[in-house]
This record gives sequence, structure tokens and C-alpha cells, in this order.
Amino acid sequence: MAAPATTKLVFEQEGIFIHSSSARGEDQEVLISGFLRLIQKDGDFCVEYRPLEDAVDPSNMLCAGKDSSSVVEWTQTPQCAGERPHRPVEPQQSYETEWDMINTVSFKRKPYANGEGVSHQVHERSRWAFFFNVSDLKSIRVKTEGWAYLVFCLREDTRLPALHFHQGGSEDFLDCLRRYVVLSECPGDKTCLMVCSHSKALSQSFENLMEDDTTYGVVQKLRKDPYTATFGGFAKVTNYLFDAFRWPELEQEPQATPEAEVSPDTLSEVIPGLEINQQQEPGFEVITRVDLGRRPDVERRDPVSAEDWARRVDSEGRVRDVSHLKRLVFKGGLCHALRKEAWKFLLGYFPWESTREERKNLQKRKTDEYFRMKLQWKSVSEEQEKRNSRLRDNRSLIEKDVNRTDRTNKFYEGPDNPGLILLHDILMTYCMYDFDLGYVQGMNDLLSPILYVMENEVDAFWCFVAYMEQMHQNFEEQMQGMKTQLIQLSTLLRLLDLAFWNYLEAQDSGYLYFCFRWLLIRFKRELTFQDVLRLWEVMWTGLPCQNFHLLVCCAILDSEKQKIMEEHYGFNEILKHINELSMKLDIEEILQKAEAICIQIKSCKDIPHSVSEILGFNEEAELPATEAEAGDSERPDPPAPSHAPPSHIPPSHAPPSHVRQERVTDLISNGNGHLHEAAHDVYKIAYIS
Amino acid sequence: MASKSSLLKVILLGDGGVGKSSLMNRYVTNKFDTHLFHTIGVEFLNKDLEVDGHMVTMQIWDTAGQERFRSLRTPFYRGSDCCLLTFSVDDSQSFLNLANWKKEFIYYADVKEPESFPFVVLGNKLDVTERQVSLEEARQWCRDNGGHPYFETSAKDATNVAAAFEEAVRRVLAAEDRAEHLIPTDTVNLHRKPRSSASCC
Ligand SMILES: Nc1nc2c(ncn2[C@@H]2O[C@H](COP(=O)(O)OP(=O)(O)OP(=O)(O)O)[C@@H](O)[C@H]2O)c(=O)[nH]1
Ligand SMILES: [Mg+2]
Repeated sequence: MAAPATTKLVFEQEGIFIHSSSARGEDQEVLISGFLRLIQKDGDFCVEYRPLEDAVDPSNMLCAGKDSSSVVEWTQTPQCAGERPHRPVEPQQSYETEWDMINTVSFKRKPYANGEGVSHQVHERSRWAFFFNVSDLKSIRVKTEGWAYLVFCLREDTRLPALHFHQGGSEDFLDCLRRYVVLSECPGDKTCLMVCSHSKALSQSFENLMEDDTTYGVVQKLRKDPYTATFGGFAKVTNYLFDAFRWPELEQEPQATPEAEVSPDTLSEVIPGLEINQQQEPGFEVITRVDLGRRPDVERRDPVSAEDWARRVDSEGRVRDVSHLKRLVFKGGLCHALRKEAWKFLLGYFPWESTREERKNLQKRKTDEYFRMKLQWKSVSEEQEKRNSRLRDNRSLIEKDVNRTDRTNKFYEGPDNPGLILLHDILMTYCMYDFDLGYVQGMNDLLSPILYVMENEVDAFWCFVAYMEQMHQNFEEQMQGMKTQLIQLSTLLRLLDLAFWNYLEAQDSGYLYFCFRWLLIRFKRELTFQDVLRLWEVMWTGLPCQNFHLLVCCAILDSEKQKIMEEHYGFNEILKHINELSMKLDIEEILQKAEAICIQIKSCKDIPHSVSEILGFNEEAELPATEAEAGDSERPDPPAPSHAPPSHIPPSHAPPSHVRQERVTDLISNGNGHLHEAAHDVYKIAYIS
Repeated sequence: MASKSSLLKVILLGDGGVGKSSLMNRYVTNKFDTHLFHTIGVEFLNKDLEVDGHMVTMQIWDTAGQERFRSLRTPFYRGSDCCLLTFSVDDSQSFLNLANWKKEFIYYADVKEPESFPFVVLGNKLDVTERQVSLEEARQWCRDNGGHPYFETSAKDATNVAAAFEEAVRRVLAAEDRAEHLIPTDTVNLHRKPRSSASCC
């Protein structure tokens, strides 16, 4: 899709220094402080460094070109036009656009004559400014010296002066950059990040989904300030450089920072996610060539039968041998007759260790509580509702959506089906239960299978509440959960098949928007109703790793990638193709593949840190090593993926406190242990990012 | 220009439940499916047709109406050749929201000249007896907001659905013709555009 011109600031940080003496060999070290920006313009991404108080001096500028064929000239910016003596510029450059294209073939320097002898402060500083298109970036040298500093090397082997991040932030910048290019360690030189693959710029427009997102740990300012507005005319601009080529001595990286001093540890601080492979042979490419090894063959099993289940329930109704039971559910799902009972445990409505008696009491309390909430909206008069727009909006949306929920399913088909009334009442009551969230489209899809299985309003409500605890963030105002998951999925895909991921990026599809429906309602619309029941119960076991549903996405995409790439699908076709997979997927095949991928990643020693974080392998590392395929062996329960927070979530996005209270009061002892772990992780992860 | 006229991107916008998906399905498959789900994300269907001797492929994009999903649908506005603003005649709120939809579209589609961009307004569910929006009210709105063509449709019984989509194609072709005649001045305008675009928010 041809996108009209817009300019967007993707990253900005002030307080980044150039040490002028180290660069130019002067006695006196001058620190030049400036800001670094990553700017998006028409699908191009450009890096800019500007000293503070900088004014641009056109005579001092050097031109460089996109694959060295286009050269761009900086003329005056409005805000500095009045600050310094006007220099004559070519007539055609002096109006309308600040930027103009001239066709020159390679790097060249403008005649320098009129710049000589000028010792104006502003002028001096302007020499340190630089600007280039990310597509011209060849490599980045990452070093530390108490703080981190970066040296950009461009295609023509042009090195820019080192940027010193005295106040930190280099990793944020690199993270941000990683969204547009692939950075990988240079063979034989860990301090050098090669920009090895250039995907076309990400879909500029889809960035809207991410634009208010601060989870990258990057301050993203997207305001259109006067400064970026001056880029208005530079649609076709690629590069310009000031006289940044004056430091050939930089070519031989000074011995000031001997290689030995850059310990792997410090490097890993600079580039999170790249610290693996330290013991590996040098030059092993981290992101591009993690050898995942063979994907194992995995077998699915038969569903757990009523007898299997009954055998594990003691005389008072406690379920024993829970981890083994979960393992069985994971491997085969449940036979339908068992679901009504078993789902309550899997979802956490019933504590596993509760007795029949305790559950009876629990249900009694929960029934009271449910009807109390139901009465709240039932007793709102028409007059009241007239003045309650929230309630009115919720009600009208619920009414519309209930009429559009699984109407081909027997349970909800035909006019005036009682199933529809239950759907409606439970969703309305949920609005009372979680008034801040209210009703959001998609909740109906999550409720429908639960109600179908429970065949009971109260039980369905509380199971739905438990499910919503896991899914809450997907539906929140900012859809934080969705953003996080899309980022995580992209991280996994990159590990599993970089070529495919690059392909998607090149098709402006790197944000994986086409997985939105999958993630929002956990494949509810992609599978037949019976298969949804199977997939969900498998996922609720929390096995075999955290965020297993993301591996389910990977498994589906793995089966489609060949077609997508061979047929050269573009942005639209990819979306259409994925949308049309709906109801054509084979659940057992997908689960098999997803589990195999999990084992494959788990048994690989070199998984990037970010990936083990997503799949929760870090926490498990402390547990006794488990043989992935030791189906029947006893093992401690890993944290349920459902409750583990997606990484990068700031603490404020932890499940709402009422949810936690709910669990604490209702679940006896360690049934909610993982929730505490989860809350803890939120902090940990937020700190990391 | 010639290649552009062969594929037209048309986008359906409007409140949740006004019948956008039903209209698209009625037009493309000539069916009315009462079992339809509400839309999550975006979907599109292609339809080939001939209008006034022009063969075109219309790519109809259908979006989710709920406010919450805005960030998911707006990226797909770009490159649209025509926007179908949809409300339902039995829902006055959906009519009142037309202005917001139009604004949202112009902003995110980055429309260069909103005054001349082709919009078509659809009042759907004509078959429903309890109307909340009168024909005159709707026409008035269209007059006051740039003279958009207005169609009252029913996806259920197929009234006016094809006519509305065909009108969309005509409007796009007409706009393109105009643009072709105006190429010299247009080029200049394009250069000015990036700056003035800030004013449309
Ligand atoms: N009587 C009548 N009902 C209609 C008509 N068009 C759609 N509907 C019904 O209105 C409801 C909403 O229709 P959809 O096509 O799903 O609405 P939408 O605009 O796509 O809604 P979102 O996907 O939520 O944005 C459905 O129950 C349709 O059956 C119509 O012309 N007449
Ligand atoms: Mg729809």
C-alpha cells in the first residue's frame, strides 16, 4: 500500500556525547553533548545525531547517497535561518522544500573554502551532527568504557564518531533499531554488530497499533514537533553527512579499549539477548544461526477418560497426582463428559486439593455472589439507564453480539434460544463484576464454549471470570496484552525461521497483525467448536511451557510459510490467506507440532535470553532437569502460562487487585501460589526492560 | 493511472452492528448470513465488476466497529480510494457517529484533499420498521458534509446494495478523471502536502 508522506519520531534520547579529542587527536578533550534520534519517514528509517544548540551549516555538509546513487542536500531549516549569516544557496533550493535531491553518484565533499577560518561556536558544533538512512548502515561497534559507546559504520566503510551513552540508553536504542533491521554479531568480533539483513521498512501504518507502546523500554515520542515537521519535504531523501569523514584514525579502533576488557558480561549488559554463546566458538551468529537441532517427533494420546480421572480422586473428593493428571490432559485433552467437572479445576474455580464438601460450600457462596451482581443490573430502571451511558452502551453491544455468537451451534441456534439469554445475562453480570473493563467484543467468544460445557449460569460465570483473568490484558483500553504478545510472537518466529520472518517484514507484515484474531480470542474463530474445547483445555494445563499458545501460532505459521513465500504473497494476500485458514486447521496436528517446537527450543543450549524469558524456561532451570518426553514421570508444576505475565509489562498492568483478592479468599493454600510468582515476575521483567 | 483503475480499494466504516459485514457479503456473495460473527480485526473480499465500460476489481475492506479496536483497523485505511460511511437507520447513535468516522478516516488514511475525496453514505437496515433516522435527516447530513451520495440499503433483502457499491466505483473513476486533467497543478500540491497534513487532526 502506498503510504503518503509522514514523519515520525521513533526514538529520541538526549545527553549523548562525542569526545572530540579522541576522535580528532586534539590535546584538550571536548565533550559535545547532543541528542540521538531515530526518525521514520515514508517507510525509511533514519538515524540522526545533533549536538545541542546546533544550527546547520549547508556549506559544511557532505553528501552521501542511497546505495550511493542519490545525494541529498541540506539547506536551511526554518528555525535556524535567522540565527546565522545567510549563505547563498542554489536558487531552486531556497524555496518550498528544505530538502532537495541532486543526482550525484558517490560520497563527495562540498568545496570547503567558505568554511575555513570560521570558528563560530555553532558552526563548530554543527560539524558533529550526522544523519543517515538505516539502510546505509553496515555495522555498529558496541564498546564499553564505564559506559557504552557506539560507532556506526556505513556502507562505504564510513565511520561516524563514537557516541558515548554516559547516561545509559544504548541498549534501548539498539532494541529500537532491531525493530527495523536485523543485528547480528560479527563472526570473530563480538563487539561488532552486523546489520545483516535489510527488510523493507516495517509497515509504517501498522505502527499505529504499537505507537503508544512503551514496552520496548524505549521512550518513543511520536508527537509531530516543529523540528520533525521540517523534514516535510524530504520524501526521497536518504543521507547526508557532515564532515564526518575526518577520522580515518578510527578505522583502526584505538587500543584504548583492549578487546579483553570488554568482558562477555558487560557486553551482555549492552545488548540484552546477545549474551548467549559466550562459550561457543567466536563468531557464532546469535540471532541468525542458532542451531535449533532436529525437531523431535511427538505423539498425542487419547483423551483422559472418566475412569482415568476418577482413579485420581480420593474418597473426600480431593484430586491427587495433579501434575500427572495435567500432563495427561496436555497430551490428550479430556473426554467430553469430564469437561464440566475438570474445567473448573483447570481454570482455577475449584482448588485441586479441595474436598467435595468444600466445593459445595464454595459454590453456594459463589451462587449468592453471582445473583447479587446480577440483581444490580437487573434492578436498574429505564429512567436510571437513560442517565447511565456506560451501562447503555454495554447492554446494546452485548445484545448485538449475543445475536452473533456461534449461532450455528445447537446450543445457541434459532430465535429465542435460552442459551442466548444466558450468554447475555452472564456478560451483563460480568460488567458489574468488572465495571472498569465492561464488555469488549470478543468476550462473547470466550464465554460461549464455557457456557456450552457448564450448562449452568453460575458455574459458567465463575469459570469465565477465571479465564478472563488470563485474558484481561487483551481487552484493556490499550490492548497491552495484544501488543506484548505480538512482540513475543515475533521474537519466537525470528528464532525459528529468520528467513520467513524477514520475508514477512519485507512484506510490511512484520507486526503479525494477521495473528490478531488468533491471539485475542485464543483461536476461537479458527477452529471448529469441538477443537476449540480441546485446544483450550490443553492450554489451561500450563504445559509444557509458558505462553504455549504462541508456539501454537508458530506451528500454524510453520505450516503456511512455504506457501506464503513460494507464492510471493504480499501484505494483502498474507492477511487473506491467514484469515481463510479459519476452520481448515487440524488441531491434533497443530498441537503436535507446537509441542515439538517447544521441545526443540528447550533442548537447544543457545536460546536467546528473550526467548527463554517468553517461554518461562528461566524459572524452570532451577527445577530438576526434566526429560521433555518423560510423559509419565512426576514433575513439579511449572507456573501456569496463563497466569504468568507477558514480559515487558510494567507493574501497573498486573492483574487487577480485585482479581487477586478473589483468588486469595477462594483458593485454599497453594492453589494460587503461581499468582504470587507471577506478580513477582512482573516486577522482575519490568525492571529488565 | 490505468493500472490504478483496475483495482479499487473501498473501505466500510461505521459503528459495530450496523451491518458492514452483511453488506459486504450481500454484495460479493449475494447472501445474507444471519449467523455472521462480529468482526475481529480486518477482512477483505474482492469483486470484479464493470461500471460504465470500465473493468474494475473492487477490494472491499471490512473493519471492526468497536472503539477499542481502533488501533487495529486504522492502519488499513491507507490507500483507500473510497470510503463507505455506514450507519443503521434503526440506530440514531450510529448516525450521530458518522462525523467521527469520517474524521477518523481522513486522519488515518492521510487524505490529501478531504473536500474532494469520494465518500458514500449508507443507511442500512432499511427493512426494519422502527426507524430512528429519517431519510430527510440523513440527506441533510450528506448535503451539509460535502455533498456525499446517500443510499438507503438493506443487506437483508438486497435493496440498493449493488447500486451503492457501483456508485462508489463511479465516484472513484470520476475523481481520477479529474486528477488526470489537473496533473500540472496537482504536482505542485503534492509538494505542499506534508506540511498542511498537520492541520487535519
Ligand atoms: N434487518 C436487518 N438486519 C441486518 C441488516 N444488515 C445486518 N443486519 C443484522 O445486524 C447485525 C449486525 O450486522 P453485521 O454485518 O455483523 O454488522 P457489522 O457492521 O459488520 O458489525 P461489526 O463487525 O461489529 O463492526 C447482524 O445480526 C445482522 O444480521 C439489514 O439490512 N437488515
Ligand atoms: Mg462486521
